[in-house]
Amino acid sequence: MWLWFSKLGSPRWFYELSGKWLPWLYAAMALLLLVGLTWALLFVPEDYQQGHTIRIMYVHVPVASISLACFPLMAIAGAITLVWKMKLADMVAKCVAPIGLWFTGLALATGAIWGEPIWGTWWAWDARLTSMLIQFFLFVGVIALRSAIESPDAAAKACAVLAIVGAINVPIIKYSVEWWNTLHQPASNFSMESTAPNPPEIWVPLVIMIVAVYLLFVISLLLRTRNEILTRERRSQWVTDLIARSQV
Amino acid sequence: MQVLGSNGSGKTTLLRIICGLNDSYEGDILWRGIPVTAQRETFLAALLYIGHRVGVNRILTPRENLRWSASLHTPVDDLRIEAALARVGLKAFEDVPCRNLSAGQNQRVSLARLLISPATLWILDEPFTTLDVYGVRELELLLAEHIAGGGSALVTTHHRLNVPCAVERLNLDGVEQPL
Amino acid sequence: MSIAPSPEVSTWGAFVATLRRDLLVAFKRRNDLLNPIMFFLIVVTLFPLGVSPDPLELTRISAGVVWVSALLASMLSLDNLYRADYEDGSLEQLLLSPQPLFFLVLAKNIAHWLISGLPVVVLSPLLAYMLYLPEEAYWTLVLTLLIGTPVLSLFGSIGVALTVGLGSRGLILAVIVLPLTMPVLIIGAKAVTDVMFGLPVGSHFALLGAMLAVALSIAPLASAAALRISVN
Repeated sequence: MWLWFSKLGSPRWFYELSGKWLPWLYAAMALLLLVGLTWALLFVPEDYQQGHTIRIMYVHVPVASISLACFPLMAIAGAITLVWKMKLADMVAKCVAPIGLWFTGLALATGAIWGEPIWGTWWAWDARLTSMLIQFFLFVGVIALRSAIESPDAAAKACAVLAIVGAINVPIIKYSVEWWNTLHQPASNFSMESTAPNPPEIWVPLVIMIVAVYLLFVISLLLRTRNEILTRERRSQWVTDLIARSQV
Repeated sequence: MQVLGSNGSGKTTLLRIICGLNDSYEGDILWRGIPVTAQRETFLAALLYIGHRVGVNRILTPRENLRWSASLHTPVDDLRIEAALARVGLKAFEDVPCRNLSAGQNQRVSLARLLISPATLWILDEPFTTLDVYGVRELELLLAEHIAGGGSALVTTHHRLNVPCAVERLNLDGVEQPL
Repeated sequence: MSIAPSPEVSTWGAFVATLRRDLLVAFKRRNDLLNPIMFFLIVVTLFPLGVSPDPLELTRISAGVVWVSALLASMLSLDNLYRADYEDGSLEQLLLSPQPLFFLVLAKNIAHWLISGLPVVVLSPLLAYMLYLPEEAYWTLVLTLLIGTPVLSLFGSIGVALTVGLGSRGLILAVIVLPLTMPVLIIGAKAVTDVMFGLPVGSHFALLGAMLAVALSIAPLASAAALRISVN
């Protein structure tokens, strides 16, 4: 177990292994995305209330669920950086931040697009949207801190501390925003859970889309991390060899 | 022990690493045979560090500064603070805000800390830079007393230490320069 | 070690000495002491000017305005928290104390709150009056600020500790800290508004109290870690 763990910490090992995984991930994602999108956009029956609008759910829900996973992931990577000083963990933490920001932004955008026909407005201070927005700010803070600190080592640790503090705050924010919102305007509290008891032709494509978008997330994280590895290890022998080989 | 080396050779970094202010190093730092990471409090209690930035608040007076510094380690009474300030030549300046004192006088305030601290290991980063000739003499005397009393000191400086005891020299450039 | 005083006594001693030192520094710079309060006053003044002087309208937003202004005032006064100590080397001395850094950081945070948070709390009824806050909400406003502003200082301290070593900080401190403080704002302002509508606010206070407890136990730890990183 320990051996495996320290091996995982080696950027080179990670680079080579992820290189082997990537083609499979690409293939799986392409397949699932194709099936999921076709199914969701063309074959899913119209919602009796929302009509075609319901189809945006197949993008919004996967994107939102990933953006919620990004902050804990960043905090865990940060904790590993602080405790074991593992370089790879910091590279992951650094790379997940902009992806998290993007997915949070996408969740907000798709939420707004969905909200327009349903609520009649692009923006409502709905509990989910509001806590998403605050999470968006948290990501911006981590990224701003990372770019403000010159020393990569200090930046890694500082961002790890901020990510952990932020991750502790995320549930508090979520809870307090929901609590604030339900008292303010319970009407707009549009519930996503209502999709659960729906017939399979509604939720099966949703599950497919969730898996597909998760794969998209994993792939972008891997690609970014691989880039980061090459940048940081550019002076090491194996990277030099790699570049020499690719130029032949 | 005197640490030598040209500008940028890592004297300050070395001292900060030993103190534990900088953790980007590999290897172990032992204090009395035990790694400092395993006995952080004991080590810190025995350590007194004065860096480039002397740790003197410019709004407070020397007396107030010393009172706070002492309380972080071992609190001492005002009489000892006054005695220490008198010893470093700041008699009658005890209650003047430090921003009204010269750089050398501020350095002396930080050196007065050496007199009120029970620390056995002194780590001083360029303590001589702003001192005048008398100040340098005085600090050398302090160092000599400290060593004679069984303490040890780690000092970075370019100048030749004039102390009546053996000085170990560590040159970070690797070459012995004539002093 | 020749002199080894009992650690409990000197931890308390170091705590009190640090608290006293920071207060002393603040009182020797009286102008700086007034700035957060003046800022608070000015921001509150902006709202009637920008929104409307209409009493009904102001009553409706009064709780939020006072809370947002308190939040901003606390944010603006944060910069002094570790800045001077970082520049003159006192921070290194603080980190090299054999006493636990948790309590020393806590002492500095409490000093910061006494300087910047408490005056805001004391002044808040006056501003509440100017914004036509109903009388029955005064005590709630003061109490929520009393519990909430220390949380602002504690969370703010983390942000300052993370950014104290940066050459040009600009607005990064606010970008980092403000999102962390939003739950406090939500609950604090909500409690005051709910009292105005005659709703019970016991749970609001319980939540604020819980936040203060969490902040007290976690924030100094994070600040201490952040200071070590910044000094490194």
